[in-house]
Amino acid sequence: MRDTFMETLLLNARKNPEIIFVTGDLGFGVVEDFQKVLPNQFINAGVSEQAMMGMAAGIASTGKRVFVYSIGNFPTMRCLEQIRNDVCLMNNSVVIVSVGAGYSYGSQGYTHHALEDIAVMRALPNMNVYVPSDSIEARHITEHLCTGKAPSYLRLGRSGEPDITKFSSNLKSNKIIDIRDGKDGTILFVGPIGVRVLAAEEMLRNIGISVSVASVPFVTELDLLYLKDAVKKGPIVTVEEHSFRGGFGSIILETLNSLNLNCKVKVVAAKQVNLSEIGSQTYLQNQNGLDEISIFNAVKACLVD
Amino acid sequence: MSRDSNNFKALPSEVLAQKARVEILRMTSVSKASHVASSLSVVDVLSVLYSGIADISPKTVSAIERDIIILSKGHAAAALYSVLALKEFFDADWLNAYCSDGAQLGGHVTSRNVPGVELSTGSLGHGLPYGLGIALSRKRSNSKGNVYVVMSDGECDEGTTWESALIANHYKLNNLNVIIDRNRIQSLDFTESTIALEPLARKWESFGWEVIEVDGHSHKLLSKSLEIPSLKPKCIIANTTKGKGVDFMENSVLWHYKSPNESELNDAISQVEST
Repeated sequence: MRDTFMETLLLNARKNPEIIFVTGDLGFGVVEDFQKVLPNQFINAGVSEQAMMGMAAGIASTGKRVFVYSIGNFPTMRCLEQIRNDVCLMNNSVVIVSVGAGYSYGSQGYTHHALEDIAVMRALPNMNVYVPSDSIEARHITEHLCTGKAPSYLRLGRSGEPDITKFSSNLKSNKIIDIRDGKDGTILFVGPIGVRVLAAEEMLRNIGISVSVASVPFVTELDLLYLKDAVKKGPIVTVEEHSFRGGFGSIILETLNSLNLNCKVKVVAAKQVNLSEIGSQTYLQNQNGLDEISIFNAVKACLVD
Repeated sequence: MSRDSNNFKALPSEVLAQKARVEILRMTSVSKASHVASSLSVVDVLSVLYSGIADISPKTVSAIERDIIILSKGHAAAALYSVLALKEFFDADWLNAYCSDGAQLGGHVTSRNVPGVELSTGSLGHGLPYGLGIALSRKRSNSKGNVYVVMSDGECDEGTTWESALIANHYKLNNLNVIIDRNRIQSLDFTESTIALEPLARKWESFGWEVIEVDGHSHKLLSKSLEIPSLKPKCIIANTTKGKGVDFMENSVLWHYKSPNESELNDAISQVEST
């Protein structure tokens, strides 16, 4: 996903000299091609996220489209006020790219886990949030961001995620992407956790429960008609590798509420019981209620209760 | 002194600053807003910049290669707004509504719909990284136009100041100028009693900047120091007096917050006009 993003960005930046790439001294083995091919469009700001973000906003104010790249919480939490004031308030054309969503950097510890970023970034005015589930969505969204102007946040996994969606050349910006079609309810998810959602869907199918599964990469631009149809079908379960507090599940709940739509909703999100737990991404997903069985149980509970 | 009796565009910078001081006093008194003393300390720097040092005028506010002035100490909004209004960037009537309901102009610098303002500020430490970005982008694209970031000395407490100082030196941004309003007072106390900044000039020098210390109320010396060509990013430490021009406001922490009442206003204006 990370490599797809960089390849797509480089392709676009070669055609468009207004695209500038700024890194906070991260991306070893990932950013070098860009640096080599387009040195005049590449800036390493060093380990100074706050100055980097203010600087990125300043660069954008000169008519550039600036991609700011770092990992985990570094390009969001560490420089939140720079994003709020210099990017969002000034409506500057900055795309914040964070690699390592959720527990991607599991064994590196909580300082490297990105579990509150969707909530924080979606709270900012003028900010669009994008969470691709695989490299196909990542490529499409990167293309979309290269031609856009708005302040944006792109939440990427790390690398090696399997592709679970199919590329469609006419993907609309608010598209919710169906992966399975079912009749009893809907699971909506964001990000590479979709792999585990599909495993849960298979378990449900094996006991005769048929649910739709869809990826929601355009988190802050929801397809409302899709939601209206989903509510007619049955309960909605949301899944995200992110905190319960204010994330994707909250977005769906708030949106349904604002549309006066009623259905059972369950939010599957990271429990964050022990912040200091160490382990692989899969291990930490399991420990935090983001495994197939937890997703399976959430759907079952909605249908049985 | 009536502000609509003259054509102010050709005003000498000293006269501009004097008239701006009167506006600052009126604005903060009428609105009962803070930061009158911060505005009085920096108004000479702004008057010099907008009187020909920086290539910016109401006609060139959107010109691509205009000089950029960023007031990073956004709490001195009254100073910037007064100077911009006197230079006819916008209608001087806007000053009368300062900080009132629905006003164009508030207590911290806002860029939206205010001609001449490049960046909304108010949280300290934002102006320099932003100006740095503009300077770097221009350098990369061989674009003309200098960047002037006017900061408070208290802002030197902010980490972004020194992050930016490192980066500007690394990229050899000699199109970037910082002017520090060195009035030696910050929010609660004198800077040296709060978090000591001295030796401030040596700090900036050691970061690779061209540093010039100057009397921040001398228009002649400010102009001269700003005009000296430099191969490095430039930092002008403008030694100023907080509350400059009004004896009871000078060098006092209290007037960081207090606004003048009617009798204080009259006294202050007569002091400013008699200089």
